[in-house]
Amino acid sequence: MISFPILFLVSVVAGFVGAMSGMGGGIVLIPTLTFLGVDIKHAIAVSILSVIATSSGSASAYTRDHITNLKVGMFLEMFTIVGALAGASITIVSSTKPLYIAFGAVLLGSWAALLFAGEETYHAGEQDAFTRWLELEGSYPDYALGRVVHYKARRAYFGAPAMFGAGMIAGLLGIGAGAVKVLIHDLIMGLPPKVSTTTSNLIIGVTALAGTSVYLVAGMINPGLAAPVILGVVLGAFIGTRLLVRLTNLAVRRFFLIVLLVLAVEMIIRGIRGA
Amino acid sequence: MDPHKAFADTVPTPEEARQEKMDTLIGYILQIGVLLSLVLIAAGLFWTWLRKGRLELDYRITGMNLFEFVANELRLAVDGAVQPRLLVNLGIITLMLTPFVRVAASVVYFLAVLKNWKYTLFTTIVLAVLTYSLFLS
Repeated sequence: MISFPILFLVSVVAGFVGAMSGMGGGIVLIPTLTFLGVDIKHAIAVSILSVIATSSGSASAYTRDHITNLKVGMFLEMFTIVGALAGASITIVSSTKPLYIAFGAVLLGSWAALLFAGEETYHAGEQDAFTRWLELEGSYPDYALGRVVHYKARRAYFGAPAMFGAGMIAGLLGIGAGAVKVLIHDLIMGLPPKVSTTTSNLIIGVTALAGTSVYLVAGMINPGLAAPVILGVVLGAFIGTRLLVRLTNLAVRRFFLIVLLVLAVEMIIRGIRGA
Repeated sequence: MDPHKAFADTVPTPEEARQEKMDTLIGYILQIGVLLSLVLIAAGLFWTWLRKGRLELDYRITGMNLFEFVANELRLAVDGAVQPRLLVNLGIITLMLTPFVRVAASVVYFLAVLKNWKYTLFTTIVLAVLTYSLFLS
């Protein structure tokens, strides 16, 4: 058994890096736990349980600030939870090798997304009839601009199936997959960046719950892992968001790019060789 | 933070005001759920440490769905078997119920306060799928 202090410390670091980079704790937590000798399925299970805590924690602040769009969240949740149930069910029956490779691929994807990440741009566009019928629009107080920003979402018919895919990745690999959800909100549905990140946080909580329920039934929630991981990741995420070092600093960004790449290559090699 | 206090030029319509109350309600449900769960887990660990002088938990949760898990723990509690593991398990249960309660509250709010049938339906679907997943076996 891995000692409590080590598990706790690893989780604090994972939560901290996850919050700072906006990638979520699971991306760092799961590879590290497997390096410590935890079976990858158990690492995935405990990670997705901890995701409920970190995402609900930050979502609580954002909803009370009236930035989160509840209707967008609750419409898209219908699709992510079904995806998460499917994804987690696949993980349960899968052998471990493909899981390592899939995780490595998602890490590589995150690495590429971070490498090519440009300035956040937001273009308002024409709303279609279906999205209007869904009432997917709103306003939020932008304190930087000093005014209330009104916006209308669009292309919900593309957003919904894409969110099924995002939910599936979340359930399959035990991560929040917030980066994927934000991409869908930004690029497909045309939500302002602030609304898309905060609404994604809300969605991640229920999506993670759907995934966790599958792992609980499979007997993969190990309390000896869960207790230090939940406390550690939440503490790390709390410190990370308070510091607000949002990868603007070039050195931090470079460091994180290297970490992601090393973890990705390591996971893929382990997947090919067998852990 | 109340945006209408920050920007005095915006006056909320009654509909917007009700929507914002919902934001606040959901925010508090999430915050209270997560905090309660953290306190329960930390208390369980502290108790383990007092009893055994270490923080590692060595029990397992056998595969069962959330409702069996809850029933199991409540039975232990009623039998007077209040142990550190009960607190940790209740912490995990509270954490899992937090998003569930959030969705249930949304159904009620959309139905009773906002009277929005579309979103009452959507949130009911979410609640049904979650309930199904928590009853899996």
